Amino acid sequence: MKAFLLSPISATLAALITLTGAVRADELRVSAAASLADVLKEVNAAFAKESGTKVRLNLGASSLLARQIGEGAPVDVFFSADEAKMDGLEKKGLIDAATRKPKLSNTLVVVVPSDSTLTFSTLTDLTLPGVRKIATGDPKSVPVGVYAREHLEKLGLWAAVQPKIVSMENVRAALAAVESGNAEAGIVYKTDATASPKVKIALEVPAADGPRIVYPVARVTGAAHPGSAAAYLMFLDSSAAHQSFVKFGFVVLPEPADKTRNP
Amino acid sequence: MTTDDLKTLWFSAWAAGLATFVILPPALALAWLLARREWPGKSLVETLTALPLVLPPVATGLILLKLLGRRGPFGDWLAAQGIEIVFTWKAVVIALAVMSFPLLVRSLRTAIGEVPRRLEQVAMTLGARPLRVFWSITLPLARRGVVAGCILAFARAIGEFGATMILAGYIPGETGTLSLEIYQAIQMGEDTRAMELIGAAALLAFAALWVSELLGKNRPAA
Amino acid sequence: MKLELTAIHVPLGAFALRLSAVLGSGITGISGPSGSGKTSLLETIAGLRHPEAGRIVLNGTVLADPAQRIRVPAWQRNMGYVPQDQALFPHWDVRRNLESSALLAGTRPDPVLFARILTLLELAPLLTRTTALLSGGEKARVALGRALMSRPQLLLLDEPMAHLDDRLRDRALDYLRTAASEMQLPMLMVSHSSRELGAICGNVLRMERGGLVP
Repeated sequence: MKAFLLSPISATLAALITLTGAVRADELRVSAAASLADVLKEVNAAFAKESGTKVRLNLGASSLLARQIGEGAPVDVFFSADEAKMDGLEKKGLIDAATRKPKLSNTLVVVVPSDSTLTFSTLTDLTLPGVRKIATGDPKSVPVGVYAREHLEKLGLWAAVQPKIVSMENVRAALAAVESGNAEAGIVYKTDATASPKVKIALEVPAADGPRIVYPVARVTGAAHPGSAAAYLMFLDSSAAHQSFVKFGFVVLPEPADKTRNP
Repeated sequence: MTTDDLKTLWFSAWAAGLATFVILPPALALAWLLARREWPGKSLVETLTALPLVLPPVATGLILLKLLGRRGPFGDWLAAQGIEIVFTWKAVVIALAVMSFPLLVRSLRTAIGEVPRRLEQVAMTLGARPLRVFWSITLPLARRGVVAGCILAFARAIGEFGATMILAGYIPGETGTLSLEIYQAIQMGEDTRAMELIGAAALLAFAALWVSELLGKNRPAA
Repeated sequence: MKLELTAIHVPLGAFALRLSAVLGSGITGISGPSGSGKTSLLETIAGLRHPEAGRIVLNGTVLADPAQRIRVPAWQRNMGYVPQDQALFPHWDVRRNLESSALLAGTRPDPVLFARILTLLELAPLLTRTTALLSGGEKARVALGRALMSRPQLLLLDEPMAHLDDRLRDRALDYLRTAASEMQLPMLMVSHSSRELGAICGNVLRMERGGLVP
């Protein structure tokens, strides 16, 4: 394996070795779940304006981002869409546990194509014959599908709904299935539903009785810019950041009383 | 298309071009060894060279990340030299280079294999050392195949997604290649933007493959 | 010139080249049915094939001796090799083909020798032509001229007349005869035509299945 990898790599390194720049002090590297892309672009711009620190935002699936951090990729702050991934890093000591906090939450919604005449008053309506296919994430592996399954199980509806479920590999694909009319309904996050003009929200699962969907954020252990990371985490609590999060459909979680903010 | 999208298009073409340029010398050397020499371990190296073609790109990306990440054997050393690879444009070029390398080696191997050995042998009896034979006889006669191989490697690099995503991350404006931007646009439901970028990528790849076909048709008479 | 082949053994797949011979000046012919190893013998002398055993000595210099781990590479043997298909370099015109030994060795072609060969082989009108458009006889002359330009110690010719009709064959034989005498050049010429060989060779060896037959 090494031989064939090395020849192009070594040649590349030789070519690039003189072109490398040093790590800049006035920047911050944030790895964030792809679903946070739009809101963080707005938040980061505001942060840059206030602090003069440029944020390099690396976007991807939370599982991939965790993997990259595990291999020592240069990251200062990790903003995950999934607590399990954050737990994995914390167990390995790769994030600074004291700085971790559940930052955002999302709610599940039932969406229908914007020209649909279907109406829902409760989730039980998903069992009606007019709803033949329901698109959502894979109920075994994709977070949105897992949340949907768990919640429907709690309500005792899963057995009736399961035959109608069309498992997609991510929220976006589920949304696309509804947008195109291939599924009469879909279960997705509210933030995704808000972003799409081709679907409308038919029913929102209230945050209080719905599943606990959490986006945790933490500083990465050994961050190259610990000061900027702390400032950034603090900025996420500012009213300006809160306004952006709410605008994009997120629920901002209150800071737990037992944890103090890390400087 | 916005200015940012044009920048993305330019960055993609530039990174793919640089990757192809960088792998050309080692690929030529390896292709020549595979086409013209018998040596122990040849079939092993041949198989290994084909691996990035068969493995899912994310697997290649993961291997690269393990090697070049700060916790990897090379990344550790590079970090000590103050060189950062992961999450930079260098990572993009490396990912593209590694993914295109097998394709280039295979094209070059065929191109070199099609040059009649007799011509190389006669050149040797006329006093040419092997390296001179390669430069003066083999390479000029294989040039169309070499150009076609480079264009194929370039086109492959334009379409690369999996390995780039893992090694270089998706940092808009910094490591955002066309393929990564397209994926993100699809993820975010920005279908119009996705289609525009797909159009740009397709145009670039089409142009490259078209030139490749054109050059491939006209093989030298010998 | 004295070329000594002593008990050489060159495996050729189905059979092996096994022979001993001593060749002197002048034109030596090699005849035999196709597949008897004639071309392989030329390649072995040129250094394009390597014996597993035996010795090849040219004018006292050992060219190959596996027992002593001696193997002079083809580019240092100074043999003029004209293969049956001529193998002209298709990316170069006739002039560059003729000058190729100098180009490939990184030296300048000898203008005196060049002029002499042009005259000898009547190549002047062909100089700017592409090799692909030459006739069989023209190709044969260019290939011969190219080999002569490298000032070989020995000229190895593989079926030089194979693609020529009878009239051209006679002229080609004349060229060879002139070259041999004017340039004092020893030659080893493979042909399956005893008529050709009889016409110019002082000595003819006959091969069968890799060995010499009396």
